[in-house]
Amino acid sequence: MNKLTTAFQKNRSYLTALFLSIVTALILGAILMLITGYNPLAGYAAMLKGVFGNSRVFGNTLAKMLTLCLTGLAMAVCSKAGMFNVGGEGQLFLGGLAATMVGVCLEGISPIIAVPLAFLSAAAVGGFYAWIPAMLKVKLNVSEVITTIMLNSVAIYLCTYLTNSGGPLLTDDRGVLGGTEAVPDPFMFSQLIPRSNLSTAIIYSAAIAFICWYVMKKTTMGLEMKITGENSRFAFFSGLKKDKIMVLAMVASGAICGLVGMFEVYGYQQRFMDSISNEFYYDGMLVAMIMNYNPLGIIIMSFFFAVVDIGAGAMELSIGISGELSDIIFAIIIFLMAAEGGITKFLNERKARKEAQK
Amino acid sequence: MQESIVKFEHVSMQFPGVLANDDVSFDIKKGEVFALVGENGAGKSTLMNILYGINKPTGGNVYIKGKKVEKYSPSDAISQGVGMVHQHFMLVPSFTVAQNIVMSKEPKKMGIFYDLKAADKITENLVKEYGLEVDGKATVAEISVGLQQRVEILKTLYRGADVLILDEPTAVLTPQETEELFQVIRRIVKEKEMTVIIITHKLYEVMAISDRVGVMRQGRLIGVEETKNVNERILASMMVGREVLFDNIEKTGTPGDVQIKADNLYVADNRGLMAVNGVSLEVRAGEVLGIAAIEGNGQSELLEALTGMRPVARGEFFIQGEKSNGKTPGQIRELGLAHIPEDRMSTGVSLQSTITENLIIGKQKESAFSKYKTHLKQSSIARYAEELFEKFDMRGSGVETRVGDLSGGNMQKVVVAREFSFDTPTLIIAQPTRGVDIGAMEFIHKQIIAKRNEGCAILLASADLDEVFRLSDRIITLYEGKITGEFKAGEIDKMGISYYMTGDRSGGNGGQEGGAENE
Repeated sequence: MNKLTTAFQKNRSYLTALFLSIVTALILGAILMLITGYNPLAGYAAMLKGVFGNSRVFGNTLAKMLTLCLTGLAMAVCSKAGMFNVGGEGQLFLGGLAATMVGVCLEGISPIIAVPLAFLSAAAVGGFYAWIPAMLKVKLNVSEVITTIMLNSVAIYLCTYLTNSGGPLLTDDRGVLGGTEAVPDPFMFSQLIPRSNLSTAIIYSAAIAFICWYVMKKTTMGLEMKITGENSRFAFFSGLKKDKIMVLAMVASGAICGLVGMFEVYGYQQRFMDSISNEFYYDGMLVAMIMNYNPLGIIIMSFFFAVVDIGAGAMELSIGISGELSDIIFAIIIFLMAAEGGITKFLNERKARKEAQK
Repeated sequence: MQESIVKFEHVSMQFPGVLANDDVSFDIKKGEVFALVGENGAGKSTLMNILYGINKPTGGNVYIKGKKVEKYSPSDAISQGVGMVHQHFMLVPSFTVAQNIVMSKEPKKMGIFYDLKAADKITENLVKEYGLEVDGKATVAEISVGLQQRVEILKTLYRGADVLILDEPTAVLTPQETEELFQVIRRIVKEKEMTVIIITHKLYEVMAISDRVGVMRQGRLIGVEETKNVNERILASMMVGREVLFDNIEKTGTPGDVQIKADNLYVADNRGLMAVNGVSLEVRAGEVLGIAAIEGNGQSELLEALTGMRPVARGEFFIQGEKSNGKTPGQIRELGLAHIPEDRMSTGVSLQSTITENLIIGKQKESAFSKYKTHLKQSSIARYAEELFEKFDMRGSGVETRVGDLSGGNMQKVVVAREFSFDTPTLIIAQPTRGVDIGAMEFIHKQIIAKRNEGCAILLASADLDEVFRLSDRIITLYEGKITGEFKAGEIDKMGISYYMTGDRSGGNGGQEGGAENE
């Protein structure tokens, strides 16, 4: 408890700024509703109902939060070591497809063998797909930002080709809908809340988050990653194998993204379709960046993000307020958080000036 | 002469968490050279930034020429006749001297076109008027640092300054250039009735140039004295707040075997030009070999090559007898070398990490600090950091402080503490006390000599000649990447060695020329 208070005090100004940004964004959202002729109270009530109204929608919200949390964490892991992985979307696609095909091919085998193999393949394929730009970066100094963006397109279009009409992995029984064969039922994660998207993936996600936290905070590897990310010249000077560390961080990031792809399929989608992810990784990146790559912050922000995202859908369905409202609210939060540094500085200076005048 | 030109009245400056100036009151008289001294973080730069309008004080008032300053901005300060030459020059390297001098107040033809000829003419006139010799048509990148400083001074004069603030002006100069600068200061004060405020922490310079001296410590003004009534020792104790004992570091023992050896070494700089041209040297156990050189003569590249930070173009070098060309810094460290880098901010520390993290790095896989080389033993790491924090006399709010929040002196202590605690038989040290205050400097010097006495082989480079003289058993001079002289300690003095540092091996002749120019 003591630790928690000190952690809170350390980040007090940041948390205050975050809280104020969220409130401001919600107020501005309310004003927008008024302008467009809706009652903001009814709007937000619909949002809350759409998120907490029953166990099914709440399960969906948690499932959404999970995805954001893991993708955000993937971003945080590589950025710790000074790498910027924009390619999570592609890694997610390929990891998801690999895990699906492993599941489909191993039909009839015991889940105790098949599911771990699916995990392994998702992580390996996602990790490998991140390894390529990482090696280009450390060996040839090619910007990983550019290569990962380009590799996203390669992965997504490859998966689209493979799982749509004419593609070799297309199932026979779905016609124009596309997608692969279904993962056999025994392999699927069990549902935690009936008819919702929430599955036991939440347990695996918690385990991944714990491992990330543990490695970052408690191991020599985490320390070396931190130093490399903050000052790679200092890392080199100190005798750290900075190239190895950077590649490893990138691969870990890719592996997590691959697992996210798997969780989407094994959690509720059951087959791989090219609609597996609607830019989930970019949302996760956003969350991670807003929260300054702070793992605890990412969890909190993911929840809020999921609430607004799912809630906006409910608002549109029940009252007719446009779903784009959630995008606007997020844009405002990001805008205010980006200005956080400046605002905090301004407030501190004003405080100092007042103190001096006393 | 007694008229006050600048007056500080109860000036306070509160930054978040730091009271940088605390109720400072004094005045500066027209036509005097006023030296402002103090350790790093004593608040002298902050105070001058207030005078120059960069910072607005949170309390008190400043008067310039009897008028209270209402609006704090550099352009208002300039129009009041206050000019400032910063430690880091604000010049455009690719422009000519004349273009730099007239910048922001360019002469114009027909109101819109830049009049280059007039700019040259203005420069010529300024040079004549103030006797500051410099070629207006040369580009700034071509001229020496000493001349660049003159350009900075001329720039402020052109803008009409009669109060000139010089922030650590001699930090980048050779002894000769320093002497020339002092000649210039004396002349403009005497002939043009200028007022000069000089910020420094070199006390012999205070004694040499100033009429009065103000000493600051921890944001407060400790006292203002007539320079003729004080001496260096008194000033040092005023600055530090206690007696500073400088000259009693005892060197013991005799040199042993060769530990660091370079054989005809060539090293390129960042632009690919050869910065080190065939340097051979040997450093033995229990001795300090000092490199005396003006910045940019290959000493940085040489030390970076010897520590593995920079590739060697030709030649060989040996650490502990083992050929080390092509090894990484990590591999060279394993041979038994520790290194204090020249630029601590970019190379020596991670600013966002804590003191603890910066102290432990390099040792994190030792069994005392991690289980199976992976699981960190947090409590023994914390204890170790506390120990070093105590032993190296770091100041600050504890080992969990971010290194970026420390003062230069404390940051350097973190680097020294980490590198010295590797207990290696060889050390390569660059600029050990750059930007470090007297108290910390004294401490770091003692640590270096202690290492030497323990039998460590130390290669040292410093832009501060006093430091090289104080610590070294032998001194080599480098000029344009070549060794131009080698001396035993006590064989040569500072003036004498500076001729070797400028590539003139004849010694005496240069002295006469320099002297003649000064008259």
